[in-house]
Amino acid sequence: MMTPIFALTFAALLLAWLGRGRIALGALLAMLALSIGLFLFEVHSRDYGFRMPWIQVSMPAAGGEG
Amino acid sequence: MPNAALTLLNYLALLLMQLALAGIQTAALVFQFALGETPCPLCILQRVAMFGVSFGIIRNFRDGYSLKNDGISMIFALFLLIVATRQTLINIYPRPGHEYIGSAVLGLHMPVWAILIAMALLIGYAAKFAITGGDGNLTPLKKFPALARAGNALGLFIVLLAAVNFASVIVQCGLDACHTYEYRLLR
Repeated sequence: MMTPIFALTFAALLLAWLGRGRIALGALLAMLALSIGLFLFEVHSRDYGFRMPWIQVSMPAAGGEG
Repeated sequence: MPNAALTLLNYLALLLMQLALAGIQTAALVFQFALGETPCPLCILQRVAMFGVSFGIIRNFRDGYSLKNDGISMIFALFLLIVATRQTLINIYPRPGHEYIGSAVLGLHMPVWAILIAMALLIGYAAKFAITGGDGNLTPLKKFPALARAGNALGLFIVLLAAVNFASVIVQCGLDACHTYEYRLLR
């Protein structure tokens, strides 16, 4: 999926530089949609979903200190 | 009422942002090819987000200033912030298969730097809006031909950086998922 994203990125930037704003914007929006999809795919875990259990902490038992 | 000083300030700010982005993208390629650090998928997505910010700046220099272009850049700055923050949180607790890869610069790895870069961009845009007050106060760029030439030259450099990244991604990922341990087409 990364290759089509970069194809669209390059096309969008080149077309913008050449002054073809409307087509460039179309390529950019397609690139953004694919990028968001790839981002969600990359961060999703089969075990945890989108959660990040490794950064969850628990409070010490009440009355344990002080 | 159009103000030449505000126009100059506006385009200088955009030029400075584009220069910083070009420097960061160039440094990323140096780390990749000179130091042999293969980028991870989320790192490559952060490059995509930075190219998106550059897109808005290129259009501002090419077609004249518009708040629409700044809006596009800010959307991608926000996307950069989201991707970088998530990657930092994934790697913040090192465990097998999940730890910061690549060299640290001043003690910080790429995703942490990307958070700072995204925040700097968003603060830069906010400050620019606060000072210039929008596009109604700006004169056409053609009154500053040297600035226009510099902006367009830098825009072309960004396009070339995107071309190098495109070729690199083809070699690293092919049409499949990207991995940090190999360039798929060089197997």
